[in-house]
Amino acid sequence: MLTNESEVLLKAECIAKRFGDTHVLKGISLTARRGDVITLIGSSGSGKSTFLRCLNLLEQPDGGELEILGQPIRFKMTRHGRLPEDDKRVQWMRSRVAMVFQSFNLWAHMTLVENIIEAPIHVLGMPRRKALDRAYELLAKVGLDERADHYPSQLSGGQQQRGAIARALAMDPDVMLFDEPTSALDPELVGDVLAVMRQLAEEGRTMVLVTHEMDFARDVSTRIMYLNQGEVEEEGPPQRVLGSPQSVRLRQFLSTR
Amino acid sequence: MLMEPLTVWLAERAIFTPDTLAVYWQGIKTTLALVSLSLLVGFVISLPLSLARGSHHGWLRRPVQAFTYVFRGTPLLVQLYLIYYGVVFIDDIQESWLWPLVKEPFLPALLAFTLNTVAYTTEIFHGAIVNTPRGELEAAKACGMSRPLIYRRIVFPSAFRRALPAYGNEVILTLHASAIASTVTLMDITGAAQFVYSRFYAPFEAFIFAALIYLVITLTLLYVLRRLEARFNPQLRGVRKQRRKIMAFGNAIPQKP
Amino acid sequence: MLNLHGYGMRLAEGALVTVELAALSLIIAVLLGLVTANAKLSKRRLPHLMATLYTTLIRGVPDLVLMMLFFFGGQMLMNDLSDWLYARFGLDLFFNIDAFIAGVLTIGLIFGAYMGETFRGAIQAVDKGQVEAATACGMSRALIFRRIRFPLMMRHALPGLSNNWLVLLKTTALVSVIGLSDMVRVATQASKTTLEPFTFMLFVAVIYLLLTSLSEWVFKRLTRKYNAGFTGGRS
Repeated sequence: MLTNESEVLLKAECIAKRFGDTHVLKGISLTARRGDVITLIGSSGSGKSTFLRCLNLLEQPDGGELEILGQPIRFKMTRHGRLPEDDKRVQWMRSRVAMVFQSFNLWAHMTLVENIIEAPIHVLGMPRRKALDRAYELLAKVGLDERADHYPSQLSGGQQQRGAIARALAMDPDVMLFDEPTSALDPELVGDVLAVMRQLAEEGRTMVLVTHEMDFARDVSTRIMYLNQGEVEEEGPPQRVLGSPQSVRLRQFLSTR
Repeated sequence: MLMEPLTVWLAERAIFTPDTLAVYWQGIKTTLALVSLSLLVGFVISLPLSLARGSHHGWLRRPVQAFTYVFRGTPLLVQLYLIYYGVVFIDDIQESWLWPLVKEPFLPALLAFTLNTVAYTTEIFHGAIVNTPRGELEAAKACGMSRPLIYRRIVFPSAFRRALPAYGNEVILTLHASAIASTVTLMDITGAAQFVYSRFYAPFEAFIFAALIYLVITLTLLYVLRRLEARFNPQLRGVRKQRRKIMAFGNAIPQKP
Repeated sequence: MLNLHGYGMRLAEGALVTVELAALSLIIAVLLGLVTANAKLSKRRLPHLMATLYTTLIRGVPDLVLMMLFFFGGQMLMNDLSDWLYARFGLDLFFNIDAFIAGVLTIGLIFGAYMGETFRGAIQAVDKGQVEAATACGMSRALIFRRIRFPLMMRHALPGLSNNWLVLLKTTALVSVIGLSDMVRVATQASKTTLEPFTFMLFVAVIYLLLTSLSEWVFKRLTRKYNAGFTGGRS
């Protein structure tokens, strides 16, 4: 399964980000190999979501290097700050790195199945028939095949999130990013979504997630990174980071959960 | 200090003599009289009509609905023509005491504008009344308030606040609509501009000057309305961000209904 | 029943002028409105400033005044232009702007400002999350606009669009003052010659009511289309 020679799918080095005068990220590095499941934990304001969003350039890092599937992203300085040089490269990168959002963000004017086939057809150029077949497979996989023709407003939060995961899977991504996927859900619905994510991890998907679900993180992750005030304070296998935390703040953080 | 070059510039253009400026001044007085009277009378008449408009009794509601439908669905110009040209046809009007009043364009114009603003204002108030939050009504009923009391203490005050943006809109639109009175020879601001244009064959000076007058009045009204809105919505104070004045006005000038 | 004193044909022609004028002006206004909305939302100063100036001036001045300014001013400009051409080059050209075209351009210009505000509000009302999800999939900006922004924006824009259209329709009556032969002008002339203002003005009023009702029916159907999937609440 995991070997040291696993290819590096995503590499971020010393990512820095500033909002006005606040330094949200002070140099965070992450290397994701095929099959890795990396979980970022930390209190609000620690910068974990911001860092995750830098990985697919939804946020523009002010400093640091980013390399996806071996392709580095080059930046240039403009009047508006540091921006990627090549938009087409960024779009390509985003088609290989899928994101699942805290607020699901399913497109409200399309049905569930239409949501799933949208990007494969328009970004990957997949023929409609093939995209539909894959979509129905994915819907069955996440347990939503009966809701294919429903609109997002007709689905519960848990169903919407599972639909969003199916939409992300439709692009057959190399890396999947999860930004607090269950934080906006009612407690009863969290379990179904986590079950889907657990299945993905067991299948060997490469995932980077931000979550507050510690039990889930412990079970599923290959590595955990604890962020505090924009820096990585501790990093390592879940048993070590969660079982015997070194830093004081991490111990405090874990004790409240 | 600015007056010297200004007076020289004005003197070069023989158009803006004291005589012409006097015509504009008369026009301003006429416009302001027309607009304020029609708004005042219109406001008073709209109050009971808006209640009738929401009544369960069809015999009360339907005539008002028909009235607003007709007066909001046809151009003000047509309404004005009907009243101005049609008033002559009322039997024996020329012999009555009314004749010296109605043969001048002011009263027919006032009547047309008043009816028009009543139609729009009634719909605005009706909309505001209907949108009273159900919770507020239920709380009032639960206290044992009688129906007239509920209307007086809860519905109307709350409806006024809700209607203010739309009604402010209506005030400004009435100001702009008043220009139409010039088509029946009323010497308002636009009438003054037409006079100057035909006299001196100077369309730009004549109409740009009129436009500036309207702009100044409009911006003044907007300022007053903004202050009123802030005063009646103390819960919103402090939430508004600071914007440069022209941006504020630019974003606030109302949409047509 | 209804004696139009032989003006029926001319009234029908006038009604056609009204509808054509309104429809063409609408197209111009919508295009101008989209451009203006984009400019107003732009982060660059110049487009934002120009768009704000445009919308402030247009919406701060009565339509009739703007129409007279553009029309009579435009006439004078055309005259001056021919005079200048003659004096300079000896060319004996006379530019005559068709009143209809002048009307379309003027009304389009005026309502472009109102449409701009409608579209601006609608674009801003689109949930940012929907756009983010599309960005995260690797969609290009053009694709995002076409497949996500525009459909979602239309839902918010429709009420304002419909209102603007209805006002535009009624504003076309003002071109009769400038001299264009729309149905109001025909009716005015007919009233003066036959001394029956009620007949013709009421007839015109009825036509406007029909147009208004038809527009509202179309608007209802469009609303249903663009509100597919919304039970109210999330956008």
